[in-house]
Amino acid sequence: MNVVTPAPLVVDGLLVGAILFALGLVGLLARRNLIVMFLCAELMLQGISVSLVAWSRHHGDWGGHVLVIFVLTVAACEAAVALVFVLQAFARTGRLDSAAWQSLREANLPRIVDRELPATDAVPPRFPRLTPAGVAPATDEDALLEREQV
Amino acid sequence: MNFSDPSTLLVLVPLVPLAAAVLTVALGRVLGRRSWLPAVAGIGAAFVCAVMLLSGMAREVTGVGHDQPARPVEFVTTLWEWAGVDAAGMSGAAPQAFSIPVSLRLDPLTATLLVIITGVGLLVAIYSIGYMHGDPGEPRFFALVSAFVFSMSMLVAASNFLLVYVFWEAVGACSYLLIGFWFSKSAAAQAAKKAFLVNRVGDFGLAVATFLLWMTYGTLNFHDSVAADGTLVPGILGATRLADASAYAGGAVGTAICLLFLLAACGKSAQLPLHVWLPDAMEGPTPASSLIHAATMVTAGIYLVARTAPLFVACPGALTLVSIVGATTALVAALIGTVQNDLKRVLAYSTISQLGYMFASLGTGTLLGFTAAIFHLVTHAFFKALLFMGAGSVMHAMGGVIDMRRFGGLRRIMPVTAATFLAGALALAGAAPFAGFFSKDEILAALHSRGWADAHADHHEGLPADGHAAAAAVFRLVSSPTDAARISAGPRASTLDALDTPATFRLLFWMSLVTAALTAFYTFRAVFMTFTGPTRVPEEAGHHAHESPPSMTVPLAILAVLSAVSGWWLFSTHSLATFLAATPSFTAPAVAASATPAVFHWDLAIQGTLAAALGIVVAALGHLGRRSDGPQPERFLGPLATLFANRMYFDQVYAALIVKPLQVIALIAAFVDRHLVDGLVDLVARVPLGLGGVVRHLQSGIVQRYALAGVIGALLIVLAVVARAMG
Repeated sequence: MNVVTPAPLVVDGLLVGAILFALGLVGLLARRNLIVMFLCAELMLQGISVSLVAWSRHHGDWGGHVLVIFVLTVAACEAAVALVFVLQAFARTGRLDSAAWQSLREANLPRIVDRELPATDAVPPRFPRLTPAGVAPATDEDALLEREQV
Repeated sequence: MNFSDPSTLLVLVPLVPLAAAVLTVALGRVLGRRSWLPAVAGIGAAFVCAVMLLSGMAREVTGVGHDQPARPVEFVTTLWEWAGVDAAGMSGAAPQAFSIPVSLRLDPLTATLLVIITGVGLLVAIYSIGYMHGDPGEPRFFALVSAFVFSMSMLVAASNFLLVYVFWEAVGACSYLLIGFWFSKSAAAQAAKKAFLVNRVGDFGLAVATFLLWMTYGTLNFHDSVAADGTLVPGILGATRLADASAYAGGAVGTAICLLFLLAACGKSAQLPLHVWLPDAMEGPTPASSLIHAATMVTAGIYLVARTAPLFVACPGALTLVSIVGATTALVAALIGTVQNDLKRVLAYSTISQLGYMFASLGTGTLLGFTAAIFHLVTHAFFKALLFMGAGSVMHAMGGVIDMRRFGGLRRIMPVTAATFLAGALALAGAAPFAGFFSKDEILAALHSRGWADAHADHHEGLPADGHAAAAAVFRLVSSPTDAARISAGPRASTLDALDTPATFRLLFWMSLVTAALTAFYTFRAVFMTFTGPTRVPEEAGHHAHESPPSMTVPLAILAVLSAVSGWWLFSTHSLATFLAATPSFTAPAVAASATPAVFHWDLAIQGTLAAALGIVVAALGHLGRRSDGPQPERFLGPLATLFANRMYFDQVYAALIVKPLQVIALIAAFVDRHLVDGLVDLVARVPLGLGGVVRHLQSGIVQRYALAGVIGALLIVLAVVARAMG
């Protein structure tokens, strides 16, 4: 079994793993939706799993594969537990926002509150509407005018 | 239980009052208005035991004729050994095993004082039933009085200098607590603090003297004891050392020990320059003043000097200084007493003055001087306790007012108090045949015999035993430098010994005679101001100014009888002097050789009586039958009256020399403590606070930030590992 696969395959595998991990990390740090955060954590796990498989193939042994099976098993259990937590958290607050849970901060620090977005007077953009299919289009004088101008 | 065994009785005398004190403390609330029961019963039982001891001791002593030198009689019982230290663990040239045997002793001096302490204590306790009635602190008072009787009897019964020191402090503590009995009153709290602090100066002297005794004599025991290896350890006042005339240190060390003892005695017995606490101590309840600050505790200094007589006799200079201090104090206190208007303060200065007499007598170093001092101690305990209780009775009836200018003519309201007070005043003034007359005569005789030794010897010519001549010979032996050098090797002499001349004692004798006249004057000034003249009562007394209840007047009557007859009885039978001569301390050769046949000195008695009569007559001219709030004849003294009224500015001088500098030092120390030391501590406390203030912002409660911190941490670790791998 000690067949060493060519190096580029390892590099590719590691690259994919690293990208998955980084995506998961950024998502975990940037998103506040509990379910999305959980998914991001899973993504990080899978990134690790991919790199483990890559190394395992590189070294030509089963260690990495076995570990990945373990990771999958644990991730499945963890998913069950974590989703229960998420459900309970939602039942309590009616929100999936992780910022709803801030009670463990230092007593004299202010609660972090989302900033209201500034109200804009901007008119919502108008998008062109498609005509219903199978019906002869009515002539629209305004559209014609516009078309001439273009 | 075998009550004929002296050791049982000797232990019971202090033990029963101690039990009474503990019982009163434990059951104070249960006993309520009857909280005097344990104290009176306990001190009464102790008094019975003390009388039995005294009679047993008297039987032991009698059988020795007047002509033979007295045989020392002592009985020592050791209860247990305390604080044993092996010689093996000690450093120094000749290490000795150290231990403190808790030993009680019985000898004539102790037996006499035990009877006085428990007897006056019993009368004071009975008197207090009436005086303290209704005071919320009644149980506390009786517990303290019992505790005081315990401590004082242990002080005079202890047979070890360390135990003496322990109970010296214990009586001081009882005194402090009783002066400050009404502690919510600022003056009382201040007076208690003053007494405590001034006494510390004296106590320091006693402590250092004890160290020096251990260094010099290798033991602290009074009695001879047997060491663990079977060798005899001669006690400081034991028979072995007493028999040897040169066994006591003279010179610098001996004089230092004696001067430190004198310092201790000056503190406890309120002698110059440490007398300032006693007049203020009158803030305490009057029965406590009577027992502690007149009859017993203040005589502890007299007891100490009398007990260590052989040590003092070996240092004539220190001994003479005792006399000088005593006679000076007697004169100064008497002068101040002449213009005081507070009845209790007059008596306080009188106490200081009479204690000065006793010291003057002790300082003569003769057997007559020592026994006369104890004789005066005994009679003084009777008549001064009586006078204080009489003053308390007046105070009780006058609603707490004690300023003599505010009342007068009280003999019509309080006949029993007036009569008994008069008896006490006659005894204090030294009028024949009251007690003070005889004891004062003995003291004057002791001083006279040292001032005019040869004349005194001639005076007794033809008497069976020519003791005076022998005494004079002894003095000449000690006084003249060549003979002193023969007795003791050169360095044993001290420069202070130059004081020990007949001229000194002649001066002291005249000072004492003047004091006698002053004593009679201020005593009868107080009597006339209080009890004669138009009857006036301060408004504080209300409409019920009346004679005190029987529990107060009966002790007064008993003491009045004792003040009237005890002097004559004890003098005419010579029982006290003969009895005391068997005290081991007084059987040292140098003391015993000065024994003189008991004789009544007519010439001195006439001088003393004339002095007393002069004082009484002047007081009568100035005060008899006059209103006490009018202008007083003392104003003719001019500036001197101001000087005496301000107590010769002792307090002011001490305030300027000692209190103020100490306050400045205390202020500086307080500043350093508050700002420098506390500032450092605060600084140390602020460092973690500041760090915490910075770090606490990390604890935001936002889960993403925690995750970020974790990521940064992991990155740092990875970077570190990589950096290390790169070299």
